[in-house]
Amino acid sequence: MRFILLLTFVILFSKNYAQDTVKVIKTQTPEELAQQDYNSGLASLNKNEYQSAVDLFTKSLANKPDFDKALYNRGIAYTHLKNYPAATADINKVLIVNPKNADAHFAKAMLFFSQNLKDSTNKSLDNCLAITKYPEAFYYKGLLAYEISDFDEAIKDYSGAIDAKADYAYAYNDRASAKRAKNDYAGAIADYEKALSINPSLVFINNNLGSAYRLNKNYQKSIECYSKAMSDKPEYLLALNNRGAAKLESGKLDDAKKDFEDVLKRDPKNSSAFNNLASVAIKQKDYKKAKDMATKAIELNANNGPAYYNRGIARQMLREEEGSCGDWKKASDLGVTAAKGFVTTDCN
Amino acid sequence: MNRFLNLLVVILISSFAFSQSVEFEKENFPGKKDEMKVARHQMDIGMEFYQQGRKEFDDVRKGLMADKLLPVSVRDYLHAGYENFKSAQSPLMDAQKFNPKNARLNYMLGFIRFFDSPGAKEPLGHFADAYRLDPEVEFDLTYWLGWNYHLNANWDEAIKYYTIYLNKCNTKPKSYAAEIEDVQKKINECNTGKKYSANPERVFVDNLGTAINTQYPEYSPAITADEETIIFTARRDNSTGGQRDNDAGYYEDLYISSKLNGKWQASKLLSKNVNTEGHDASAGLSPDGSKLFVYRHSGKDGGDLYESTLFGADWEPPVHMNKNINTKFHESSVSLSFDGKRIFFVSDKSNGIGGRDIYYSDMDLRGEWGPSKNAGTDLNTKYGEEGVFMHPDGVTMYFSSQGHDNMGGYDIFKSEFANGKWGPAINLGYPINGPDDDVFFVVSGSGNRAYFSSAKQGGYGDKDIYKITFLGPEKEPLLSTEDQLLAMVANPISNLKTDVAVEIKTAKLTILKGVITDAKNGQVLEAAIDLIDNDKNEVLATFKSNSATGKYLVTLPSGKNYGIAVKRDGYLFHSENFNIPDNADFQEFTKDVALKKIEVGSVIVLRNIFFDFDKATIRPESANELDRLIKLLNDNPTLKIELGSHTDSKGSDDYNLKLSDNRSKSVVDYLITKGITATRLVAKGYGETKPIDTNDTDAGRQNNRRTEFKILEK
Repeated sequence: MRFILLLTFVILFSKNYAQDTVKVIKTQTPEELAQQDYNSGLASLNKNEYQSAVDLFTKSLANKPDFDKALYNRGIAYTHLKNYPAATADINKVLIVNPKNADAHFAKAMLFFSQNLKDSTNKSLDNCLAITKYPEAFYYKGLLAYEISDFDEAIKDYSGAIDAKADYAYAYNDRASAKRAKNDYAGAIADYEKALSINPSLVFINNNLGSAYRLNKNYQKSIECYSKAMSDKPEYLLALNNRGAAKLESGKLDDAKKDFEDVLKRDPKNSSAFNNLASVAIKQKDYKKAKDMATKAIELNANNGPAYYNRGIARQMLREEEGSCGDWKKASDLGVTAAKGFVTTDCN
Repeated sequence: MNRFLNLLVVILISSFAFSQSVEFEKENFPGKKDEMKVARHQMDIGMEFYQQGRKEFDDVRKGLMADKLLPVSVRDYLHAGYENFKSAQSPLMDAQKFNPKNARLNYMLGFIRFFDSPGAKEPLGHFADAYRLDPEVEFDLTYWLGWNYHLNANWDEAIKYYTIYLNKCNTKPKSYAAEIEDVQKKINECNTGKKYSANPERVFVDNLGTAINTQYPEYSPAITADEETIIFTARRDNSTGGQRDNDAGYYEDLYISSKLNGKWQASKLLSKNVNTEGHDASAGLSPDGSKLFVYRHSGKDGGDLYESTLFGADWEPPVHMNKNINTKFHESSVSLSFDGKRIFFVSDKSNGIGGRDIYYSDMDLRGEWGPSKNAGTDLNTKYGEEGVFMHPDGVTMYFSSQGHDNMGGYDIFKSEFANGKWGPAINLGYPINGPDDDVFFVVSGSGNRAYFSSAKQGGYGDKDIYKITFLGPEKEPLLSTEDQLLAMVANPISNLKTDVAVEIKTAKLTILKGVITDAKNGQVLEAAIDLIDNDKNEVLATFKSNSATGKYLVTLPSGKNYGIAVKRDGYLFHSENFNIPDNADFQEFTKDVALKKIEVGSVIVLRNIFFDFDKATIRPESANELDRLIKLLNDNPTLKIELGSHTDSKGSDDYNLKLSDNRSKSVVDYLITKGITATRLVAKGYGETKPIDTNDTDAGRQNNRRTEFKILEK
């Protein structure tokens, strides 16, 4: 009886209003309804209307409970809604139906990743990669390795992602960052440039490239990259701040100062720019100004470790021994490792 | 040749300036004859004292040089001629008030004031005036002028005047050999000073302040590891006994001060167990702070070392150290190794390398200090060494010397012991060291600070104790830079793959529409329309055409064989058949139906009567159509009809005729079985003789294959 057509005829007659035709409204089969709701759910999902997507997939599944695509995509929608238990239930059902569903394994990995369950994420990524060379699975394995500073492993995984997907700009960017962390600046520069050649619109890669050049002490190229990032996205003040840093490191104190001041013109509450002005002042041995600038940086961001570090330097030179040691201690607590050394060597 | 040119320059300069000195002559002071007399008298008195003092001074200098102890520091002269200079000062100052432009007077005042306040502005001014008024007023004027500039760290000016003096001495090098060595050393010191002051060390050098330092000499600090207590030597007017030594300074005593809330409290004389009316000086402190080494000088011992132990809160009376340490010569400055098994000390005993040298002695099995050994030429020079301090790291020694790469007087050096020998002495640099004496350097327990004594300018008088804070290498500021190293963090995107939309398997529809009319007059009719699933022989639905327009529209999903029957009372029903395959595309048919009234001669095609292929057997799906026919006959019991069957043109005529004949009979037989009287029914096979459509197409042939009934009687 599944394929019996259910035809409902609604024949509208009217004595006063003559109808030209007999209207026929046809109801659809459960299969059709399931598919139609599924498609609508997918449209919602693609428009990031996750709750609507969940509702539509649920409707679809009401008509076709074993509709694995609806289950999978509802799991995705639940993931976006951070309803992890529901998402997990759906993805697990999909995997029961088809244990070789690489997408589902990856989706499961993303579920774990969203919940910061790193071991489980890795396991699901491995399950995915056991089925196919899934580029994104390689990428996320690289990400997990990067986060624990296992840069060799990260480079290996990102390389896997690139092997599986030659135009994977994100993987090139991240592999470059891992190389940078290993002080392989030449390698990092090559990868950042490759990422940019694949997707020149990713402004942050130009910034990263500028920083790799800066760390490699090629300040001219560094400044060019930061400037390109700024020209592509004028509101990208991060690059302007970094350009100032490159100028400062290359000894162009006045030029650096101008960049930092420009940042503050556009964003008067930019703690980083204040701290960098403190750095300029320290270089110019204007310790009073350095202290003032660093203090403003700290007022704007109480967790600005470098600002405490710099204020410590300024205070030491201003003969405020206790103040400087207090600042270095704070900077050390905030993760500025160099400050810890000062606490040891200068504060006993 | 150079020597000749230099001398010429000196002579030329001298000749230009010679006439500027104003002598105490009445013609130079017209109208001030009496005042001039008084002034000249004061000048004479002062000069007499000066010359006596100068003789004493020169004797000391000559004596030192004869012993190859070149006086390097101002204090090497041991206040020679002090009393006479002191007596000369007042009358000379009176004369100076009357006649400030006398070169010799300025020279004498400069000399006297120099040894009272070395490097101060006043003696420098006198020497500079003397030189301006008469550069040749004394042979050694430029030497003392150069030294004054030297002590002010005015390296270039010092070198300039030292060089003038050197050139003069070089005219008689043999006679002035010692002077040449002396001034050449000072020129070298100035060059060293220039070098180090161009790249100053990153340190803070702070005077310990008035709680520790006074107008009197304070020096030789010993500091406890926690830097909370300091013991040092001073020559103050409150020293034990209150007596002065031959050099006019008060006898040395040890003083102590402790910190309260981080500030040094006013220093006090150390225990009476330690201080005597003679010289009692701090010579060193053991690393654990439990042993204090004291320098004492009495009689003809030349100055010896003693050891005092801390007992409770007081120091026990110092015990004279053994003969391996003390000699008839001068011993001073002690430092123990970190394990207490080796002692370093300073002595000017004979057979040394020169002046005071650093020696060491190891403790024997009985706990006594063994024979001392000279620390060697890596540390000791022909000039003086003083203030030894062995760092607790066991390898680094800090000491002061006049004979290494100095910038003036004693400078502080360090040397590291490695591979069985001491490394090169490294000057601690400017501003730790300066042009005057910098001695008695001790490092705090933390290693971040050091204490030493210095006669540098800006103190409270003579030597003061200073604290050095080591700042280490210049601290580079930390920039706030930010990168977005991970693309997924910088620009998060979802890597979750969504499926693509499915193609919805909807039934494709065939639309049948049309207008139902009266066949004779064309009037639109409202009629009932049965939609029959022929496969299942079921009426799926019945609906009506529009009463006003006669129009109808039926949707027929694909995949079925449909029968359509249009019925209206008083009219013959009209049937149609639509076989719509599952894969049929959307199609729309217009089928206008002209219903015929029940009249003799009317012919109706029964589209929904089916036979097995090539047979006369009626297929079950014909039931509905036949039922409608039965109903028609039952409703109209007088009707008599002919059931005619037609074929297409395929096959032979005979065959077609026979097949059609058999089929019409099958229908009649069926009706009879359903209760219709046989007399009302006539079976007729027409074969292919009456086509209603072409036989050239499938559709046409299908139309031609039909069963009709015709009303014969009503």
